[in-house]
Amino acid sequence: MGFIKTVLLVLLSATCLLEGTTVYCQSTAPTSFTLTEKNASLQKTLTDIQGMSGYTFVGEGDWPKMAHLLSFSVKNVTLKQLLDTCFRDQPLTYTLKGTAIIIGIRPLKEEWVHGYVQDTNKQPLSGATVYIRGSPSEAVTTKENGEFRIRTHYTDAWLVFTNFNFETRQLQPEDGKDLIVQLKDRIVELTDVSVMATVHTGYQTFNKETATGSFSKVDNELVNRRVDPYILNRMDGVTSSVLFNKNLVSGSNASAITIRGRSTIFANPDPLIVIDNFPYSGDVNNINPDDVESITVLKDAAAASIWGAFSGNGVIVITTKKGRYNQAPRLSFNTSLTVGQKPNLYYQPILSSNDYIDVEQYLFHKGFYNQQVNNPQHLALSPAVEILYADSLGQLSHADAQTQLDALRGQDTRRDLDKYFYRHSLNQQYSLQLAGGGTRNQYFLSAGYDRDLSNLVRNEYNRITLNGNNTYCLVPQKLEISTGLSFTSSKMYNNNSGTISTIYPYSRLADANGNALSIPYQLRASYADTAGGGQLLDWHYRPLDELRNADNTTGLIDYRLNIGARYTIRKGLNARVYYQYGQGSTDVQNYQSQLAYSTRYLINEYTQPGPGGTFTMPIPLGGIFDDIVTSYQANNIRGQLYYDDSAIAGGILNAIAGAEMRDVEGNINTTRLYGYTKGEASSMAVDYVDVYSLYSSGQQTRIPYLDQKTGTSDRFVSYYTNAAYTYRHRYILSASARRDESNLFGVKANQKGVPLWSVGGAWEVSKEDFYHLSWLPFLKLRVTNGYNGNVDRNVSAFTTANINNINNIYGATNFLIVNPPNPSLRWERVNILNAGIDFSTKKNHVGGSLEYYIKSGKDLIGQSPVDPTTGVVQFTGNTSDMRANGIDLTLHTNADIGRVHWNSVLLFSFVRDRVTTYKASLGPVINYFYPGTPNPLAGHPLYSVYAFRWAGLDPQTGDPRGWLDGKITNNYNNVLNSSDLSNLVYKGPANPPYFGSWRNSFNWNHWEVSFNIVYKLGYFFRRNSISYTSLFSGISHGHPDYERRWQKPGDELYTNVPSMTYPANLSRDNFYQYSEVLLEKGDHIRLQDLQLSYDILRNNVHRLPVRSIRLYGYANNIGILWRANHQGIDPDYIMSIPNPRTLALGVKVDF
Amino acid sequence: MKPFSFSRIGVLVLLLAGLGMIVSCSRSSFLDKKPNTTLVVPSTLADFQALLDNTAVIGQVPVLGEISADNFYAGNNSWTTLDVAEKNAYIWASDIFGGQGQDQDWDVPYQQVFYANVVLEGLPGVRVDSSNVTQWNAIKGAALFTRAFAFYNLAQLFAPVYDSATAGTDLGIPLRLSADINAVSVRSSVQQTYDQILYDLHLAETLLPSAVPFYNRNRPSLPAAQALLARVYLSIRDYANAKLSADSCLQTYPGSLMDYNTLDATVSYPISKLNTETLYQANFLMYTQILAGNFYQQCVIDSVLYQSYASNDLRRVIFYRTTSTGSPYLKGSYNGTAYLFGGLAIDEVYLIRAEGRARMGDYNGAMADLNSLLSTRWRMGTFPGFSASTAAEALDTVLLERRKELAFRGLRWTDLRRLNKEGYNITIARNPDGQIHTLKPVDLPLYTLPIPPDVIAFTGMPQNPR
Repeated sequence: MGFIKTVLLVLLSATCLLEGTTVYCQSTAPTSFTLTEKNASLQKTLTDIQGMSGYTFVGEGDWPKMAHLLSFSVKNVTLKQLLDTCFRDQPLTYTLKGTAIIIGIRPLKEEWVHGYVQDTNKQPLSGATVYIRGSPSEAVTTKENGEFRIRTHYTDAWLVFTNFNFETRQLQPEDGKDLIVQLKDRIVELTDVSVMATVHTGYQTFNKETATGSFSKVDNELVNRRVDPYILNRMDGVTSSVLFNKNLVSGSNASAITIRGRSTIFANPDPLIVIDNFPYSGDVNNINPDDVESITVLKDAAAASIWGAFSGNGVIVITTKKGRYNQAPRLSFNTSLTVGQKPNLYYQPILSSNDYIDVEQYLFHKGFYNQQVNNPQHLALSPAVEILYADSLGQLSHADAQTQLDALRGQDTRRDLDKYFYRHSLNQQYSLQLAGGGTRNQYFLSAGYDRDLSNLVRNEYNRITLNGNNTYCLVPQKLEISTGLSFTSSKMYNNNSGTISTIYPYSRLADANGNALSIPYQLRASYADTAGGGQLLDWHYRPLDELRNADNTTGLIDYRLNIGARYTIRKGLNARVYYQYGQGSTDVQNYQSQLAYSTRYLINEYTQPGPGGTFTMPIPLGGIFDDIVTSYQANNIRGQLYYDDSAIAGGILNAIAGAEMRDVEGNINTTRLYGYTKGEASSMAVDYVDVYSLYSSGQQTRIPYLDQKTGTSDRFVSYYTNAAYTYRHRYILSASARRDESNLFGVKANQKGVPLWSVGGAWEVSKEDFYHLSWLPFLKLRVTNGYNGNVDRNVSAFTTANINNINNIYGATNFLIVNPPNPSLRWERVNILNAGIDFSTKKNHVGGSLEYYIKSGKDLIGQSPVDPTTGVVQFTGNTSDMRANGIDLTLHTNADIGRVHWNSVLLFSFVRDRVTTYKASLGPVINYFYPGTPNPLAGHPLYSVYAFRWAGLDPQTGDPRGWLDGKITNNYNNVLNSSDLSNLVYKGPANPPYFGSWRNSFNWNHWEVSFNIVYKLGYFFRRNSISYTSLFSGISHGHPDYERRWQKPGDELYTNVPSMTYPANLSRDNFYQYSEVLLEKGDHIRLQDLQLSYDILRNNVHRLPVRSIRLYGYANNIGILWRANHQGIDPDYIMSIPNPRTLALGVKVDF
Repeated sequence: MKPFSFSRIGVLVLLLAGLGMIVSCSRSSFLDKKPNTTLVVPSTLADFQALLDNTAVIGQVPVLGEISADNFYAGNNSWTTLDVAEKNAYIWASDIFGGQGQDQDWDVPYQQVFYANVVLEGLPGVRVDSSNVTQWNAIKGAALFTRAFAFYNLAQLFAPVYDSATAGTDLGIPLRLSADINAVSVRSSVQQTYDQILYDLHLAETLLPSAVPFYNRNRPSLPAAQALLARVYLSIRDYANAKLSADSCLQTYPGSLMDYNTLDATVSYPISKLNTETLYQANFLMYTQILAGNFYQQCVIDSVLYQSYASNDLRRVIFYRTTSTGSPYLKGSYNGTAYLFGGLAIDEVYLIRAEGRARMGDYNGAMADLNSLLSTRWRMGTFPGFSASTAAEALDTVLLERRKELAFRGLRWTDLRRLNKEGYNITIARNPDGQIHTLKPVDLPLYTLPIPPDVIAFTGMPQNPR
């Protein structure tokens, strides 16, 4: 608090000094004038001026009666500026002669001005007020189509355009031309050059001009630029400092979206998503992008700390569309159709069928398959191995075996996959919206339907969204009530995983007639053919039938109910209450009929031979129905005071304070029915208690019991306040504080809370009197500091146990201790220091902002190893710290090239994060390579790419060689298991430290073309290569690097691929896989998309039956322009297949 | 403009304060709700029972002893693919862990000790009355049993063989008797180690129920504690007490031996885990590769052992099967799963009493015990019946049958340790890699495994010489 006081004192004393200077200037410099008038007559004003300057005044006619009253305040202006102010919009003119002011009557020139008022989306704006500056009484309002006609009396009159929801504009009409006036949202008075935007924090809405914090905004135009059914995708590549991470590995706790780098290790890494004032508990994909007005990203402490313990990863605030007061009903319809290419199944390189069979032959001759052949569990052998085995037993002639093998060599599973499992994607979107309002209410209604036929045959997503919100002004100027209801229902068909369960690359999935073929899987074909002597169910696996018979759907219903009230206590002070109820459930229903392999497999395995060749089937015939219902109920309530006054010590105070409670209850119910036949709704009881011998192996086990019900409960009570004081439109001071309390488990009540705060200041230098850079008319500096928080709800101060999902072998419930006691547990905190400059050149030709920040994660939950003799191997507590710093640059330019308007936005972000304290050692260096967990190492980014130094292949054996303690070695175990971290080479971050985009748009008449280039630079990834261990054991498909392997001395000169050895050596393979020769630079530049649109307006085409029509096209995932690696790898898709190109066509009609 | 209205603001502040008070009053109960229904702070008897019922932790016994013993060979080059600790233990290498910590043979038994200590420290918080005293006692007894069993298993690997002359100074294992993870681990003496084990077990004897549960065989009972006492006394060569404990066990649990003629030798796992002989269920740690189901074919039975079963001895087909080339391998054991049985069963108790009787000179009694057991192991009507004319003869017969009956139960390593201490002079040799490795009785340090390197690093406790 001492710090805040100091800052306050410094700023207060600074403002006092400035006041003092002004007074001093006034008394000694008679050529500059400072004057304030309030409702004064012109005559009185001129008399005042006479007193200050000695200039006398004289006029013709009855000028004092014609003049309007004056109210103004000017400081340090010249006499001419002062007089211009006095005579502005008067029916009078003046001329200076010597020390006399001669007042004349302005010549009358009556004229009609005609034009249209639109919003920034070029939608006609009805009900806007148009008047002549200085004569507000002579006002007209615009018609339904935005048209107006007003009579002016003098040549250089100014017109003022206002509307409650829009920013006021002033323009001078040109002779005889129709005036097309666009108004921007919200009323804020600003200079022409300002970078205007409002920001929504979820607690309040304010003008970005008065903000000290760091915000990025995706406005409505940008939200609509991309055609995509999912709202978050529409932010990708157009939002500063927001990185969309591809290549996510499950278990690594990486987030799909990071804002300004990483500041937690094990706690929740995802940004908070806020919709309609409250955090959204459902899946954000439920939101129809057409219902979204704008998205605001809160990045620093001042912006985000209002969200307290939820804000450590940044906050994304989604604002939905609302109606407007005094607006005629407006109906609009939008539809688009997106077609996507088939994914390229050949993108991920795998071993060719030919090479794969060579390897199988090699292994066969080494005796590798003997164990499997003799295995009493009848494990499956691949078709080629079966042929080789039959050949070796003499059941097949060598020639026949060769012919059959050669046939397999020509087959490729991907051919059939491509033919039967994949297709062109087709996405349809429809949405209908109605918005409007009267003097006492505003409303917005929308309905959307999306149908997405994915690239995978039989996979589909259908979504219906309904949205309605109303605001009623019950008592004008006093009480406003708002209600809102959002509803989403979707159904997803998830019948195709895009792959099959076997590894060998030469499966044929269908015969020439498209009939499904069986392939060996789990059990040997010969066993599957004969097991049970015909009394068991068919035991064959046919991937194509699996696809055809799958019946796996996810149904979703989600709705939000909002009620709010705003009561104005007095001007500038109002009280608000918000309540939101949200409920949603997803129901994953997987019906595996008796045709499904998994069902047949289970029934067969549990079949028990009885006396006399009889069988009993403990798992009844019929299908198996798995149902997982996940649901949540969220209650949020908030009471808030909002204060806004411009009368406090000459400045504007903007403050909120409030309290809120939040309760999200979640449930997961898992059930399984055996003997279930769809449509008959009957199932059969099974015996979960007794132990059965499995048919194929004899192993004793019980029937899988999956039924389970678990609940979660997240509860918070929070108190918060946020205030900003703006003095003389140029000095802004902001502060916020918040305390969150939660039902963190096993923590004493006084440790359940965390206080978080922020302070900030901004200075609009360009408004200072001494500021004279005419080429840079807007310049603002700001700095903020404060704390955001993060919650890890998995830790506790007491010994906590978790109820094991699986009962013990006797069916008893049992507990697993998850946490030894930790009485000193604290919440994670993130300190953010942010400094920024906003600027804009004349006419906003070039503008933007530059920000620098330092993020320090403190008390992060981390693990530290403990003597295992304690019974605990690792201890989880507040043991870690992280630090990130970075730069965000946004630069936009506007230029007119002939009649083409060119607009470009360059986004550049730099972020470097690293773990500064981490007490646990992961042990041997090999553990730093494991992708399935975060692998923190102090001094490096949380996600780092490490490597082993490479010493080339051994010229004699083709063995890879590395370095250990300064010596070349091929003792891979020692290299991998060394605990000396100097044997680990840090190559760079795994996530791009430099990223951004460059978006250009061109407008000509009613055409617009835009494209977006995105780039990610300065990072590394590890490419895949051959691992003989996983190839031999059938875990991986192998890699064509096999063809470049070392085979004879001399090969080491042109290849780094180790020789093939038998038996495979896992440590050797791991060493090669993690060596530096397989690292690639991830840097790349991508042409993300191209957008084209054409507007037809009734204003131009008078016969148009509707107000306007927009036709648009959008091409996405166009391609890589440049990449640093020469392997043809798209660094956004290292382990997966790149998103195929899509092309969308759409039309939007406004009625 | 209207003057700043303090009265109205005041009313509002009061209102807000009132709201705040309402929120604060209800918030503590509001915030007391459990964040997840699967989370528990163990505090009731049911909770403690659930901790002890976690068979993934509690019912696990170390495997490195069995791997170091002489019951099997690693066939088919499988040795090369083993985990580093298994691989080195197999050839009695001086370094077992290759620098790797987190050895389950050490960590899991100590995890069991931690669970037992959590229960023992939590129990005084549960009020005892007539309605729960039986359960309270049973849980306390079970926790003590669990701790003793873990300490015993650790001592067989990481403490030198018990020798009454030097046990007071030989370094035993750390005895952790509290759940506080901040307490430093210090090695006790071998004498203290066994004193603690025996103390816990004798106390458990007074608390545990006398009936063996029919179903939840993972829960200790009085006969199980007595059987474990017999096993512990045998390992420290206190044969008189071993015999006494075995005797009390057989009196408390008159349960019958299984007649192997009633078992189906054609199935993979002929013995059900709910068989009448099992007193306490435990199995080998699941990390083992060589001693787990999928590897059984690589686990080739020592030919001397296999040949020692007579052709009418049903154990030949109940315990083992053969590959197509005739090499014998494991079939599974007393728990009907792919993980070998490491718990306590009544057949072992018969053998302990027989050995005790033989060593006490009661060779007829010893043979009677042996015949009671073996008559159920032979094909119906073929059992010849054993007899001995001297105590030494009886002891030799009992020890041979002990090896045959209790192979792959994790007991052979302890037997090798104590028998070689008595001059039995058993030498083992192996040749997995073209080199012959031998373990001679004089290689005493090799009969004690080194302590895992991470434990040494954390605690600075003295390492076993190797």
